[in-house]
Amino acid sequence: MKQQNVLSVIAASVALALAVPGAALAAKVPAGVKLAATQELVRSNGSEPESLDPMVVEGVPANIITHDLFEGLTSTDNEGKLHPGVAESWKQTSPTTWVFHLRKNAKWSDGSSITADDFVYGIRRLVDPKLAAPYAGTFGIFFANGQDIVDGKKPLTAMGVKALDKSTLEVTTAFPVSYLPELMSNAQLGPAPKAVIDKYGKDWTKPGKMVSNGPFVLKEWQVNSKVVIAKNAQYWDAKNVQLTKVSFLPIEDQTADVKLYQSGQTDMTYEIPPGTFAKLKSDMPKDLKTSTILGLRYYSLNNKLPMFKDVRVRKALSMVIDRDLMAQKITADGQLPSYSVIVKGVNGAKPTTYDWATWPMAKRVAEAKKLLAAAGVKPGTTLNLSYNTSDYHKKMAIFVASEWKTKLGLNTSMDNSEFKVFLKKRHDGDYQVARNGWLADYNDATSFLALVQCGNTQNDNFNCNKKAEDLIEQGNMSTDPVKRTQLLTQATKMIMDDYPLIPVLQYTLPRLVKPYVGGYSLKNPVDRYRSKELYIIQH
Amino acid sequence: MWSYTLRRVLVTIPTVWAVTTVCYLLLHITPGGPFDGERKVSAAVLANLQAKYHLDMPLWQQYLYYMKSLLQGDLGASFRYADWSVNELVAHALPVSLTIGGSSLIISLVLGVVLGIVAALRQNSPIDYLVMLISNMGSAFPSFIIGPVLVLVFSILLKWLPSGGWDDFAVSYMVLPVALLTFINVSTIGRVMRGSLIEIMNSNFIRTARAKGLPMRTIVFRHALKPALMPVVTLLAPLAISSITSAVVTESIFSLPGLGKLIVNGAANRDYTLVLGLVVLVTFMTVLFNLLVDLAYALLDPKIRY
Repeated sequence: MKQQNVLSVIAASVALALAVPGAALAAKVPAGVKLAATQELVRSNGSEPESLDPMVVEGVPANIITHDLFEGLTSTDNEGKLHPGVAESWKQTSPTTWVFHLRKNAKWSDGSSITADDFVYGIRRLVDPKLAAPYAGTFGIFFANGQDIVDGKKPLTAMGVKALDKSTLEVTTAFPVSYLPELMSNAQLGPAPKAVIDKYGKDWTKPGKMVSNGPFVLKEWQVNSKVVIAKNAQYWDAKNVQLTKVSFLPIEDQTADVKLYQSGQTDMTYEIPPGTFAKLKSDMPKDLKTSTILGLRYYSLNNKLPMFKDVRVRKALSMVIDRDLMAQKITADGQLPSYSVIVKGVNGAKPTTYDWATWPMAKRVAEAKKLLAAAGVKPGTTLNLSYNTSDYHKKMAIFVASEWKTKLGLNTSMDNSEFKVFLKKRHDGDYQVARNGWLADYNDATSFLALVQCGNTQNDNFNCNKKAEDLIEQGNMSTDPVKRTQLLTQATKMIMDDYPLIPVLQYTLPRLVKPYVGGYSLKNPVDRYRSKELYIIQH
Repeated sequence: MWSYTLRRVLVTIPTVWAVTTVCYLLLHITPGGPFDGERKVSAAVLANLQAKYHLDMPLWQQYLYYMKSLLQGDLGASFRYADWSVNELVAHALPVSLTIGGSSLIISLVLGVVLGIVAALRQNSPIDYLVMLISNMGSAFPSFIIGPVLVLVFSILLKWLPSGGWDDFAVSYMVLPVALLTFINVSTIGRVMRGSLIEIMNSNFIRTARAKGLPMRTIVFRHALKPALMPVVTLLAPLAISSITSAVVTESIFSLPGLGKLIVNGAANRDYTLVLGLVVLVTFMTVLFNLLVDLAYALLDPKIRY
């Protein structure tokens, strides 16, 4: 690319990056809404957090809490929109360099100021092999030398993050990352209180010891019972935080979750039990809130096996599954049919589809039969479908097997295993067809393309399309968002035409939320509801 | 008796060692590891995690490392609950389980024995049928049916009690789980007590006591009760173990932070240290309860002396 073009692209990127709303993220209480005198919320939170260390957490429940306790350079609101966090502004100074300016009034909960060094320490800590953070690889790859540090090949000091002064942070990425500001909203890439961690070691996350910088501070943590957080008076935007106390209950049993909600002990469920969507929708229409999230349910095809080497077989298996019927009658909880590895709402690439998706089913079946016959797969052939123990997965698997049986005459042997046994089989490629699912870590197409990229850790299909890989590489190196989207969409289409996997549904997340809980949006793409934005309406 | 007790306590050591070793091997040969997740961690991160938890050492070295820590009373760091040691997790869960399981056991014992006596003395009367009906219901209906029904009635409809959760030993949170466990235990104790007392009441020495013209109360409480309690005492050890350490369903229904939940989560997550720590604890408790039962035999039966 010519020098002039590079500069104009950088200018465009800077303009785009600065186009973020200048106003801070806050609990937007609409005019006329009367707030309750007591601003306390009880959230059911799925399972016990594996940790409250923002760099160590992995699962959604733990992330929900740490994102209330800690704040990164940026922050996303309950609609997924980006806002300034500890950084009040930022700019991209070269395709791989970003400078973040920290707000002067940002403080730790002990009253000390947050400096750029706290971010340097936090980000280096994430990739420190000694900490062994599960997300070290996921987020580390975006930073210059990040992967080498995780691999133990370079020292922590080589990490692409530098404090230019007390309130200016420079981030150097390994390749152009246009969505870096959104990535930096993850608490894994936030600051960490070095003095506190040095003093208490692993125990620094315990109540009374933890120092945090988010809208809330840790008050109580009883394992498998509750985590209680309270409003942080030192938080720079404390005036816009309505809730004074939030309790998170680790309720794993979905039926118990709903019972606690019905008896008034919680204000929000984490999920609802499978098969109860229709009943809850009719019984509690005001409480049931369903949002479509960036997640995909799919079936991995083991592309290494001779049987699946032939694209015609993979295509035929995908063609005959009626996604509409599955969404409406089988899962019946508002999920959306999906025909691409990229789901609706993802930035950086458009969801692709197949021509046959709009064909009548009879035509699809006829075509699929032809493909199978041409590939030499005869009716009566048996496939093996693996899934883990769950009524939900079982229902879906039985439906898929019946589609293959009734439409193609193929038999399916069901291989149901305990979760970890199943995961081992799937990761090791010890399967033919396996249930799979993915929730985006961040709102960008690359989070989903990882599922189908050559040699990627998350690619359980073991497929590889070198041409598409080149396009993804070109897209990632491009600083022009429009061109990048084009390239990644083109790569997606190319990969999906290989039929490495069978996408079936895009996740929705139905949950019960009391009508008096304000600030809950149905547009949250990664199901991350920050308590900062929630409030209790007088009721 | 003291030397017998000492011998039994000493036997605990090889028992715990054998159980721990077998469990250690079983855990390691079970497919799937602690760091297998829906999202696969990269090879480098996996290597870092394994190094952190000493899983990069050969199995025998890991075993020796674990046993050495165990001898020092350290149950190790949990793989699943990264911020807690297994000792801390057990210290949090044990009081909850002891309170719920222990109180339900005491209530069940008193209720079960009383109901068993009443039913046995009024054999084939309406009250006997009622007691047997309750007993059979307790055995026939699984806890995952009775529990939600209790929640429906007392929490959702009547709104008298919380439907689950735990709040620092607040009694209101304990009522329903204790009631559920009691209902299940009482059915077993009541049925065994009834059968045992009926058998004793038909034995020769009771017939002799009756022939001597002793009042019924004396016959029952002085002569029949002690031997009739023997099978109930035998039952107590397994009941105590199941109520305190493995009340998994009850803990799940009422979302209690007890040992049962830890065991299930530990096994599901391949949290080797947590499972092993709990196995050590359960083994100790099993040996202890069995010892107490054996000592109680000596108190109840003059033929038994150690």
